Amino acid sequence: MSTIKELNISPVGRVEGDLDVKVYMENGVVTRAHTQAAMFRGFEKIMEGKDPQSGLIVTPRICGICGGSHLYCASSALDTAWKTKLSPNALLLRAIGQATETIQSIPRWFYAIFATDLANKKFANKPLYAEVVKRFAAYVGTSFQKGVTASGRPVEVYALFGGQWPHSSYMIPGGVMCAPTLKDITRAHAIMNFFRNDWLEPVWLGCSIERYLRIKSWDDLMAWVDENESQRNSDLGLFIRASLEFGLDKFGQGVGKFLAYGTYLHKDLYNTPTVEGRNKALISSSGFFDGKNWSEFDHLKIKEHVKHSWYADVPAEHPWKEPFPTPVQSQHLADSDFNGKYSWAKAPRYDGFSAEAGPLSRVIMNANPNNLNHQIQDPLFGDIITKLGPNVFTRTLARVHEAPRLYEFINQWLSQIDLDGEFYIKPEERDGMGFGATEAARGALAHWIEIKNGVIKNYQVMAPTTWNVGPNDEQGKSGPIEAALTGIEIEDPHDPVEVGMVARSFDSCLVCTVHAHDGKTGEQLAKFKL
Amino acid sequence: MVNILWLQGGACSGNTMSFLSAQEPTVVELVTDFGINILYHPSLALEIGEQVSDLLHDILRGSVQLDIFVYEGSVIQGPNGNGSMNNFAERPMQDWVRELSNVAGYVVAIGDCATWGGIPAVPPNPTESTGMQWHKEKKGGFLGEGFISKAGMPVINIPGCPAHPDWISQILVAISTGRIGDVLIDDLHRPKTFFTDFVQTGCTNAISFSKKIDGGFGKRGGCLFYEVGCRGPMTRASCNRILWNRQSSKTRANHPCLGCTEPGFPHHDLKKGSIFKTMKYLGFMPRELPNGASRLGYFTLTATTKALGIAQTDPDTSK
Repeated sequence: MSTIKELNISPVGRVEGDLDVKVYMENGVVTRAHTQAAMFRGFEKIMEGKDPQSGLIVTPRICGICGGSHLYCASSALDTAWKTKLSPNALLLRAIGQATETIQSIPRWFYAIFATDLANKKFANKPLYAEVVKRFAAYVGTSFQKGVTASGRPVEVYALFGGQWPHSSYMIPGGVMCAPTLKDITRAHAIMNFFRNDWLEPVWLGCSIERYLRIKSWDDLMAWVDENESQRNSDLGLFIRASLEFGLDKFGQGVGKFLAYGTYLHKDLYNTPTVEGRNKALISSSGFFDGKNWSEFDHLKIKEHVKHSWYADVPAEHPWKEPFPTPVQSQHLADSDFNGKYSWAKAPRYDGFSAEAGPLSRVIMNANPNNLNHQIQDPLFGDIITKLGPNVFTRTLARVHEAPRLYEFINQWLSQIDLDGEFYIKPEERDGMGFGATEAARGALAHWIEIKNGVIKNYQVMAPTTWNVGPNDEQGKSGPIEAALTGIEIEDPHDPVEVGMVARSFDSCLVCTVHAHDGKTGEQLAKFKL
Repeated sequence: MVNILWLQGGACSGNTMSFLSAQEPTVVELVTDFGINILYHPSLALEIGEQVSDLLHDILRGSVQLDIFVYEGSVIQGPNGNGSMNNFAERPMQDWVRELSNVAGYVVAIGDCATWGGIPAVPPNPTESTGMQWHKEKKGGFLGEGFISKAGMPVINIPGCPAHPDWISQILVAISTGRIGDVLIDDLHRPKTFFTDFVQTGCTNAISFSKKIDGGFGKRGGCLFYEVGCRGPMTRASCNRILWNRQSSKTRANHPCLGCTEPGFPHHDLKKGSIFKTMKYLGFMPRELPNGASRLGYFTLTATTKALGIAQTDPDTSK
């Protein structure tokens, strides 16, 4: 006889609002899952009819973690609408801001949010469990405070150029506000060097950055782990070994389609910003990967659906054509009707497909054999996605894999700043349509703007979290996290740690409790920390 | 041992991110060395879910003492006052906030959204957001003008978008070390120790301000007050005394002060012409003047300085 259960998970996530999840299970296997974003703030509507530069102040404050990424988008959207000119220095300083924010997030996310899950009692019978607990347990783990403290260093570099992190507005149409001096550049190099010597090489890699970057395939990575004690016992070495031992490579597959907008516009290739010229100017390439083939990214293929979102019904449409959302009455998770509207998130689709955004999508684009000479060419995740597929482990590995390369980029870009060059070219304000995009730490982020009569007529923000936690679309197709939860085995319904790990592998700050309900009586059986 | 509960409403978590960047003390040191017991924090706590709602009920019942209630984010009252645009643990967050504020020793509002409503409260205020004891420039807010916490203080406002980590951690340390009596608050309920000086205090361009030398974006030196809307002379905060991320500040990085520790932020509600531009009177006089300046006096001084050629045209700088 089959056992049917429902789990209400409320809240699953924090930081970009609250995420709740409803899970239906049969014989321990999830048959259906629904994600619910539990907060609405209306930031887009606030900008209607306001100064065209409002996004520079308002949108970084959408998210305290990805504020620099929103700023990158907001300034780019205005660059394309106003047809600005950008100097090499301006492009370098924006890229440095984006990269320092992203590299900051890697240790903060890994230690404070993700790795504490590995210390869950589900894994207590595994040989590596004792070492994992010693290293990664919250607060008391030997690497916990070290990693969390190290995460504050890269954003000191952001502050040198932006004044502060979080919530600066230093990227503006036409360039950047700052005009750094020699001492800012030298101090930035020194801070990054400290970050490397304090954490990145000794604690995280157990080897030099140069050695790590020689890894080109899954076999190379496995050989790297076993090459010596230092690498095997580094935090990355331990994470890889524990993940494979604990089976993190076996669940949380998702929709198997990947979208990246790419980022880091090259200093010499985007001096005249246009929407059409963006793809070829990126250092970290954009694209769509359907599981086998890469295709070129075209933002016009994006549409947002609201059939299952708490907004007045409008047909699925591209952000330039969408109206501001009109909120309707919402429900608590327990009272939600999942055939109707059930989330504050919209459901974005690319060419009709639900697609995963995030570091895994990004590194898959880095493996595209058609990448240009100035673009990252890193075959590693092309190989990994073929051999292991998407799952909790590969998603997390992708996130942490970026740290050594970003470190190299930040130093390289700092060294390219020309202290005698221009930092800002005053633009002419005009009406028009704009599009700005980037890769926030957690994935594809874009802004669309329409300026009319000198004020904002429309402003649409689509965050990576929208791609990942979005609900069903008009055709009833699931969002990526909904799909990744479907089919997972929950070993102990009284402690469904797998649900939290899947959700966390997509996003950063998820703190979960699960209320387990018997499907028949609705009686609450237990609640658990994930 | 001081018990702290930290909740987030209409928030971006920016104040939490700022707090996590703190050093001397770090968040972990606050817990281990300063006797601060964090009962719950959405990004830090291990206790979650129903453990949290049980905790909240224990606090409301009085079986767990709540010394400091820290609230980040606006209080979302929409739609139509029912608060369901922000549910937390299966209840509107606003219901938790009201009940917890009534049993807390001290109530601390962190960041502009919690203090004055912040960006979510900009018209048309789609979420009916407000601050804990202020709504923009007007006293009242969610808890009302007369609210006094159990320990006898109104809501302690730590504004800023975000608040500086030191402002947060040092007020917590002051309460936990029994020095709350030394914390004087101004008429906006801000601790005077951080919010008496103006942002201009310690600004590296202060000399250009007095010489009336204009700065601008992408340039070194010069004052941002005259052309690009810097609010440093009329914004109380210690940004240029203690610096951000131990390195810099907005104005030191040639970024105009946005006035984010004052209740009007974002000032002029983002209206056309108000962003990174100094709003002018008669086309040349700044409409808003440094605190304490009379219009006639300031006009005379500026005109005289410019007319007599006292002003240098360019600041002294070096790459």
